[in-house]
Amino acid sequence: MVQTRKLKDGSRQIILNGKQYDVITKVLSELATKTKASAILFADMSGQLISQRGNTDNMNTTVLSALAASDFAATSEMAKLVGEEAKFKLLFHEGEKRNVYLSNVGDNFFLVVVFDVSVTLGLIRIYTKKAIEDLVTVLEDTSDDDKIDENIIDSDFSTLLGNALDDTFK
Amino acid sequence: MFINWALQEINLKIVYYGPGMSGKTTNLEYIHSKLDPSLKGDLVSLKTKEDRTIFFDFMQIEVGRIKGKKPKFNLYTVPGQVYYASSRKVILNGVDGIVFVADSQPHRMEANIETLLDLENNLKQDSHTLESFPWVIQYNKRDLPGAESIDVLQKRLNFFNVPYFEGVAVRGDGVFNTLKAVINGVVQNVQNQL
Repeated sequence: MVQTRKLKDGSRQIILNGKQYDVITKVLSELATKTKASAILFADMSGQLISQRGNTDNMNTTVLSALAASDFAATSEMAKLVGEEAKFKLLFHEGEKRNVYLSNVGDNFFLVVVFDVSVTLGLIRIYTKKAIEDLVTVLEDTSDDDKIDENIIDSDFSTLLGNALDDTFK
Repeated sequence: MFINWALQEINLKIVYYGPGMSGKTTNLEYIHSKLDPSLKGDLVSLKTKEDRTIFFDFMQIEVGRIKGKKPKFNLYTVPGQVYYASSRKVILNGVDGIVFVADSQPHRMEANIETLLDLENNLKQDSHTLESFPWVIQYNKRDLPGAESIDVLQKRLNFFNVPYFEGVAVRGDGVFNTLKAVINGVVQNVQNQL
């Protein structure tokens, strides 16, 4: 399972292990091949990009993830206003050349599929649904949870980060 | 905070909060204009025709590898105007640290207080509290004639005695110190709680 450490002040730390990352990347690659999608992104609901596949060289995927997360956030507020009790699970943006299909993966993650209008929506829907099932399975897998016990941030790290910030912000 | 063990990446989310026109976007614009292109991504602003932030501004910065780890900082601003309350709430999702950009002009005191209460309220819904959450204050627009004294601002706004900075964001005064302080605050916070 994706580890979530809860800190005393209420903030969350989400930790993804190496095996999960590998499986996620594999699922994304398969989805890209089957759907011929231009780009596929997997990100978390706070807007942080986790993995990407497809032809993303000319696409600012960091910003795309941040915007997509906000898209979900905005539409879930919209859901409340129109009397929908759950969140909207699926968002679709239709363009002249390209479409974007966004679907949530559990409560904390989502998938963005960018594809040409020549690809049918039905095809995207079917393969994305299968990919989401696979992703949910790997995110819930608890078998490797105890492998991460190293504290990623120690006092040495904060000193070095402080120095790096001083250099950067000169 | 999101940690990707496979890529050794640490992602932090910092949100600039404050009343309308206090200088949140200006802070990000200054940071973006000064950083080396290799360390920053694009600055994206969702603005109205009148140049007011309608949803948020966003940019990502990196400082290179530290002990093999790659920290990335995702900076967001919120729209300050009162009627964008729900946008402010959603941008706080997954936040690790906050910069409260206060407007030093006396007639904006009430707006500062109101926005700070709005922040506290939004944080509570995510089970955070201003008392224990890492945040800093930037008293912006210190160059304007008639700016309120720091004493008064401190008494009215800094009730948890968090680090504060005097800023003139258009000139960049205090901008990097503020950002550095909030990042330090977040890192200390994580360290103290593990």
